This record gives sequence, C-alpha cells and structure tokens, in this order.
Amino acid sequence: MMPRDAEVVVVGAGPAGLTTAAALAERGVERVLVVDRDDEAGGLPRFCSHLGFGWEYTHRLETGPGLVRRLLRRLDSNAVTLLTRTSVLSVKPGPKVELVSGRHGHMHVEPRAVVLATGIRERPRSARLVPGKRPAQGILTTGQLQQMVARGVPVGGRRAVVVGTEHVAFSILLTARHAGLDVVAMVGAEDRIMSYAVAGLVARTMGVPIHLSSTVDDIQGADRVESVALRGPSGQRSIACDTVIFSGDFIPDAALMPGSGIAVAAATSGPSVDQYGCTSAPGIFAAGNVLRAVESSGLAAIEGARVGTNVAAYLEGLLAWPDVGTCIRLTEGLAYIVPQRWVPTNDSGYATRSLPISLRALADVPRARLRLIENGKEVWAGREMKVLRHRRLALPAAILDRLRGGDAALHLDPV
Amino acid sequence: MSGRYDVAIVGAGVVGCAIARELSRYELRTILIEARSDLGDGVSKGNSAVLSTGADTPFGSLECKLVSRGHQRYVAEAPAMGLPIKAIGSLTVAWNNDERRIVEQLQAETVAAGFHDVVVVGADEIYRRAPHIAPGAVAAMWDPEEGIVDPFSTPYAYALDAVTNGVTFQDRSPVEKAERNGAGWHLHTPRGVVEAGIVINCGGLGAAKIEALGGFSDFVMKPRRGQFLVFDKSARTLLDVVLKPVPTPLYRGILMTPTIFGNILVGPTSEEIDDPDDWRVTQSGIDALLAAVRRLLPQLLDHEITATYCGIRPGTERPEYRIIPRPDERWLTVGGIRSTGLSGSLGIAEHVAGLVVGEMIGGRRKPSHTVVSVPSLAAGERPWLNGKAADPEHCEIMCHCEGITLGEIREAMASPLAPRSLKALKRRTRVMFGRCQGFFCGARVQALFERLSAERST
Repeated sequence: MMPRDAEVVVVGAGPAGLTTAAALAERGVERVLVVDRDDEAGGLPRFCSHLGFGWEYTHRLETGPGLVRRLLRRLDSNAVTLLTRTSVLSVKPGPKVELVSGRHGHMHVEPRAVVLATGIRERPRSARLVPGKRPAQGILTTGQLQQMVARGVPVGGRRAVVVGTEHVAFSILLTARHAGLDVVAMVGAEDRIMSYAVAGLVARTMGVPIHLSSTVDDIQGADRVESVALRGPSGQRSIACDTVIFSGDFIPDAALMPGSGIAVAAATSGPSVDQYGCTSAPGIFAAGNVLRAVESSGLAAIEGARVGTNVAAYLEGLLAWPDVGTCIRLTEGLAYIVPQRWVPTNDSGYATRSLPISLRALADVPRARLRLIENGKEVWAGREMKVLRHRRLALPAAILDRLRGGDAALHLDPV
Repeated sequence: MSGRYDVAIVGAGVVGCAIARELSRYELRTILIEARSDLGDGVSKGNSAVLSTGADTPFGSLECKLVSRGHQRYVAEAPAMGLPIKAIGSLTVAWNNDERRIVEQLQAETVAAGFHDVVVVGADEIYRRAPHIAPGAVAAMWDPEEGIVDPFSTPYAYALDAVTNGVTFQDRSPVEKAERNGAGWHLHTPRGVVEAGIVINCGGLGAAKIEALGGFSDFVMKPRRGQFLVFDKSARTLLDVVLKPVPTPLYRGILMTPTIFGNILVGPTSEEIDDPDDWRVTQSGIDALLAAVRRLLPQLLDHEITATYCGIRPGTERPEYRIIPRPDERWLTVGGIRSTGLSGSLGIAEHVAGLVVGEMIGGRRKPSHTVVSVPSLAAGERPWLNGKAADPEHCEIMCHCEGITLGEIREAMASPLAPRSLKALKRRTRVMFGRCQGFFCGARVQALFERLSAERST
C-alpha cells in the first residue's frame, strides 16, 4: 500500500498505536498506515528492559521489548503497513496528514480517520526551571538515559543524582547500574515517594539515600556536571556528582495539536476526548498516554484496542461523529479525568467500546469516596478508599452510561 | 600548529569572526585563534538575537555609529550568506503618563539622531500590532526596522566565509604568552607559536587578560550577566514584534520577542558579576523574568518553557566600546563590546579593517572572493521545502522537535569547521534545541555524532 492510499493513519507505533492498528485490522479495515518517527516501532517501552509492561492488556509478565514484540506479532501485515523513520509534520482538519520520510519524501495524505497515539515525554531540566549552570554533558532525562543504554551510547559518568521519585525514577536505578553509574542520591519535592513503598525500600537496600521535601537549588560544572546543591528540611547540602537525571514529570507530546482543530484539555495538556476517543476534530481520534501523563503501557494498549474498534465502527457508519456532549465537571481535589466528555450512546449495533476511565486526585486523602452527581442527583457512589495522588482512582466506565446528558459532576468527598 | 601571519585575531566570537571575514577580502595572511574548541562559544552564545538598528545605543558614540552600520550591512549581506533576518519591528511601550513623556522625548531624540522611521504610536496601534499584551499600554515608540536573526549561524557563517577565503582557523589555542619582536608578536599557545605582524584582541570576556599579556591595561572588565527564558513554539502566535520596556540610562530592560526559530524569548536580566565564568541561571533571575511575563504577556504562562540560559556582557568600567589602535605597538584592541556584538559585528569589522589597512600594516583588496552560504534554520525553512524533497537524507528527521534532518547533520559534520562536540553540533544545526532537549533524539544524535566524528578523523 502506498501511504496516500491509507484509509486510517495511526500516528505513533507505541503500545496504543500498535493495538489500535491490530483492532482495526481485526474489524476488517484493510488499509491501515502506522507511522513512527523513530528508527523502530515500539515507543518508549522498547528502551525499558525490566518486567511489568502491558500487564493489564496481556496478563503476562513481560519486559518493554517483550511487549513490543508481542504487539508486533499480532499485527496483520496484509492490512497494516508500518512505516518507521517517518515524521508527521501536521494534522489538519479533514483530516489531512502531512508526512516526511527518507523513503517517500514529503507528502500529504487524506485518510478517512486519524488516530493520535503520540505518547509522552519528560519535562527536561530547563522546563522545570532548575537554577544553576548548564554543563554540556551530564544533564539527562530518564528517557534519554534509557535510550543511551539501549543503543549502546556511552554515558560517560560515574556518580548520578536522580531527581524525582515516580515509578520511572526507581526503574532508572537499574538502568543506571547497567550504564556503570552509581546513583548517589534521589531527590523528591514531595514529602513521600511518588511510587510504591516497596520501591523506596529497594532504593534504600541498594544504599541510595532519598532526600524528600527537597529541590535542586544549583548545578555546578563547566563541560560536565561537577555537583548539585539540594535545599531541604535540614538546609542546603552539596553532592558531588557528574550526572543529574531528571525523571518523571511527564507531559503528553501534543506538538501536532495546534492547527489540527483538536481542543486541548487544560488539566492534561492532551486532547479532550469523549468515551469513544473522539477528539473535537471530526475524524481524529486519540489513544494512549497522549491523553494524559501518565498511565501504564497496559492501559495505553487497552485504550488503543478500544479506539481501534471505535474507528472501525465510525468507518462502517455504525458510529456517527458525536457532538461535544457533556463535559464531566471535576470538583475540588480531583486533577483530571479521561475521557473528559460523555455523549449519549448512538451506537445501535454494539460496535463500540468505551475507554477505561483514568482519574487522578491532586493530593493524598486517607479515606474518601467518589460520587457522580447529575443535575443534583446522585447517579453513583463508590466505596470508601485511600486516595494516593500518584495512583489511578478506580471508576468503572459503565457508570457513565447512567448519565442522561444533564450537568454531570464528579466529587471526591473525604470521609 | 605554528606559522607566520600578517594578522592574528585572538577570539572567535561573532566580532572576531566578522573581522576575519572582513580581512579575508585583503591580500593578508590572517589567522583566527580561539581558546575553546568551537567558535561562538563565549559571549556570542547567549544574547537576545535581536538585530538592533543602533537606535537604542548612546547617540553620537562609536557604538551607535558601528551598530547602525552593522545593521545596514547585515540587512544587505545576510541573505547571500543564507542567514535569515526578519524585520518585525519593535514597540517600546509606555504603561503610564510618566513613561509616555519619556517615550515621546526618546522618539524625538532618536529621530534627531538620524533614525527617521521611528514614530510614537497610540494604544490602538499598539494593540493592533501586539493584541495579546496586557491591557494598559498608553503609547509606544515604534521602530519598524528592528529585526530578529540567527545568533548561532551568524559567527559560523562569518568564520566559514573567512576560512573559505584563505583565513586560517585554529581552535583549542588559548594564548598563554605574548612576546613582542621586531616584526610584531609571538603568541604562545598549547598548539604552537603564532607569529603575527599585528594582533587584534577580540577576547570578549577575556579581553583584559589578553591585553595584560601584551602589556596593556587601559580597562578592567565589568561583566554583566543576562538571563533568558525561551518559551515553546506553541506560544509563537502570541507575539509578532519585539516588545521593550522604557529604558533607563543603565539598563534597557527585559524584552520579549519572537525568535527567528519560532519561539518566544524573554530577557535579559542585568546583574553585575565578579566571576566572568559564572554562567548560572538563578532563582531570582527566573522569578524576575516570570514576573515580567505575568505583567506584560500573561498568556505566555500557559505555555511550556523550552530553555533557560544566560549570556554575559563583556562590559568594562566605561559604558562604551574600547576599540584602541596601537600602530606603534602593532596591537589593536577590540574590547568592551557590551551587548551589541551581534548587531554591530559587520560595522565593527569594517571599522577595524579600515584601521588595519589604513593605519597599521596596509593591505590590497583582493579582486574577488568566494561567496559562502549556510543552510537556513529559520522557522518554516526545512530542507524538504527548500528543493531537497528528493534527497532521502534531507527527509529523514533526527531531531523531531526542531525538524532537523540526517542530511543537515551530515552536512554540518562535513564542513571545514566541523563541530568537535555535541554542543557545537547543536549550535550548527539546532538538534536537541527543542522542547524535549534530547529526550527523544539525544541518544541517536550522539551515536551519529560519534560515528561521523570517527569517520572524519580516519
């Protein structure tokens, strides 16, 4: 298939993009083009060699590359064309897609549907406004370090400080060791680690001190990092190191949204979608972590599979392009919800599947309960639970089907 | 490396490179020597990238004359060098009636100094040109000629032109000793002794140190740091002019401007520093810049910050250029270029070349020279749009945020002035300069850089 013959263009060949394509092919869509700008398909998991990727989707213990291999095997090569080293330059209403690649040059494609599955990136040091010098070497993000290790690029350091305590900050402990880097400290702005308690235990067992409620105040070094200064509860301290790894602080890679007609949700910086994964631009869907930063690769894969199903329904005429629908209002204490919008179901043939809900709180709450209210009446109430801001709050997608198009608000009530 | 030259230029910042280019038009053996491993790696790497017309320099000064001339020449000569320039104009905005009176007086003085296009405009015109700025602007001075340029490609284009036209470039050569002999000077560097008929000191922040090596002490350095924030390209639609505050006699204030690459730039601060190597972005600097954004263009805060950086102005104890010809001593000082080196470079180069051939050693103009151009890195100018869509390497993007291709990296690495470090490659091509700062492409680009460097050295 030539790219310009594509019926659907999927942008991004990470877990969400690959499961979207697989679902489209299973539903009989024959000309699916998956493009990825990197040199191989797989997205970020292919640089993560530890276990735990895709669990919710495959129910298997796999590494990142293992998950990618499995997802690639599931692709029907008759229906799906995978183009790597291909960059999408713009997505415009229509939808119209502008591509450039070494193989095909510069071209414009007008598919019937586009799926944005562009994933996430980490905020670099500059975006975090960390003061200090800017040595040419030794300041990295987790993602860059993972790629350097996976691609055999020498890291060139011995002593690293990791900034951040999200899951990925702990996974980088293993990557750093692989790269010959000794992690001499972890730094977290919050008063607890933003990962499982066991992760902190592992770090301490490895002899890595974790400085909480602390920030990087200064970076010294000319060509390469020489030290960082931390400010924390016990004052300022300087740590000699040659590498600083900024981890976590993920943000959707939303570069293609300006000019596309896609409305951006302020709370996530990603596209605003309804339960089918439809953005505000007709024919353009979105799936995976571009929707918000960040959920697991397994959830991204599930979203891709469901959006793929919905795209197929749209192409078959079983899903009419929905209106904006009802925006689910979040009350105090809640950070974001995806999908942001709910539309009354217009799927007569049971051909669609709703996205799982990803919902996060702004702060930890010891005991709290979720309640969905429509026009002042309680539609649903959850069980009491402990709320941790770094964890997805459980909310069954089916409850949204109880909405009738009124004013819907989700409450997080401390108990 | 060693040898005999008519002229040795010490320091390959934008001014040294411009002088090297200028002297390459003469029958002179010229060498440009640089302490670091790349040109443009000191003062010239951190500025506002705004090409001043000279209207914001002290009227009647040498600086004003050379910046005006530099601007005029840049506009005329940059296109042939492939250097982008966009005359977006500037608004110096008054936010109250006191400032309005200052702006009106400033405009009258500016016109009297020969900048005839500068006018005072009212609020309607301000908000037509800059609809997103905060409410409350009462008047502004509009300078239609002020423009934005590529500050990294400029010294590179000058140096490439110079080298192509016969100038020798020697990097990694800090001058450690300068000895006077009958015919000129012996400059001792770790890479050998350079013999030169005359020395031109373009040492930037190190100018006073170089002076001392020659036995001169006419000035002391008073470096001033300026910090900047670079906002994401998603913010570009918020501003299409250079937005300036009303200046004070000592400080031109924090400006906001689009960059030629499509970002929005905010800065500089102005802090006197003791250590000329204190290239630090500080919390107080960041806070001052964010406060200015909140006051003047609050919508900018909805956008991500791509980069922070600082520049250091090579000022001296007097607020003026310190260009000192010493024909008897065979030494020419080009110091104190404060904050206008980029804008003034071609004017300074012409002036200095005039001193060299007119007063110091003479030199015939060559009948012709080779025209050199560099690839444009301006927003919207990508190889596949500029006639290279059929070249696979020019359609394979390596740096996704900036859209920089494999072909562009290869070309930069094949240059006679090939980058010796990843940071030099960044300045040549803009790889890793975008919003992800290397998250996506850093590992691949580094691997490519190391492979191409190894190929080059074998």
